[in-house]
Amino acid sequence: MYKFMFKKENGEEIETIIGPSVQVEGNFVANGDIIIEGTVSGSIKTEKNLRIGDEAKIFADIWAANAIIAGEVQGNITIKEGLELTSTARVFGDVKTKTIVISAGATLQGKCLAGEDKRAKAEKIEEKPKLPVINREKIQPMAEKIK
Amino acid sequence: MYLYLYDSFLNNKKYNSLLARIETRLTDLGIGGKIYRLSPLRNVNDLLADEVKHGIKTVIVVGDDKTFTQIINAVAKLDIILGFIPVGNENKIAQMLGIGSPDQACETIAARIVEKVDLGQANGTFFLSNITVSAGDVTIECENNYRIKPQGNDQVCICNLRPILANAQNQTNYFNPQDGHLEILIQPITSWFENAFKKSAQLKKSIIPFKKIAIKSKTSLSVITDGQRVLKTPVEVEIATEKLKIIVGKKRMF
Repeated sequence: MYKFMFKKENGEEIETIIGPSVQVEGNFVANGDIIIEGTVSGSIKTEKNLRIGDEAKIFADIWAANAIIAGEVQGNITIKEGLELTSTARVFGDVKTKTIVISAGATLQGKCLAGEDKRAKAEKIEEKPKLPVINREKIQPMAEKIK
Repeated sequence: MYLYLYDSFLNNKKYNSLLARIETRLTDLGIGGKIYRLSPLRNVNDLLADEVKHGIKTVIVVGDDKTFTQIINAVAKLDIILGFIPVGNENKIAQMLGIGSPDQACETIAARIVEKVDLGQANGTFFLSNITVSAGDVTIECENNYRIKPQGNDQVCICNLRPILANAQNQTNYFNPQDGHLEILIQPITSWFENAFKKSAQLKKSIIPFKKIAIKSKTSLSVITDGQRVLKTPVEVEIATEKLKIIVGKKRMF
């Protein structure tokens, strides 16, 4: 569903590629799109898109605008817009996103918060003010005096 | 005013007719100037500093990639424009700058399209193209935030221009010397069989843009800047943005 986020391999959008032979440790921050096929531990942060390949192993918390996950992630995932877990994805951690697509076969073990937090508030039914009860016995002698 | 620096290998007789043709063409185009022949005994830094004092604004290197990259370190410290007339066999930098044959180079210099390009700086040594790290147990510390650990048999290259030695010709959107970043290119050394038959060697590469890194290793390893100068680890590499004013052709690859 979110494959439009990334152009093909030789396209112009891809900025950082971490290949399968490379290990990254620490707070990995990138300004552009990220493709990870290797191992990352620490944290991953990007304002743009993230793709985690099926052989990738991530031991990190993730922040991104959009993400497609096909590999293993051990950590919490916070996505601003859309998250897609493919059939090979294995996620062990909490997920927070606006929209989510989970393919059949994907593993997700953790709390999942998807969608916008726009809850309707329950309206209270206001009670109508009670009209004063007219006591006829008191009013009658007063009416007779007026006459 | 133009200053032409001829590499010492051009003293060979076989280049005489070519140099005569270039000089005639430059005179025809009205861009002739002083000519100096480089030699191991002549200090380029002092020569250029003197000539700048006497009003030289443009320096044209006549030679190959090796000559050009040697001059860059002297020129980067001065406010002058650098041009290139490629002569000899190794002229891949000229291709990237959009300069073809020596005759075309004369036209390019006359047309004078000047671009500011970034340079890399490794332990104070400037480089235009790339630096290569010899194979070994290397750790790269990026922006003081994260560490990259390639496998022992990976080829590690820090690129400003599109790599000459590394096979990354398809990476058209990377390696732009005007983007304010250098790139780490890590690729496993593969056999021709793997390259020919296994799918997508492209995906095995790592390309990581950065502004400042430190290359460290347990044992001292060689780091070669532009195929010329050999440094030893640890090496600090950073970008020097818009450091060099260079004359380029219309067919430049950035």
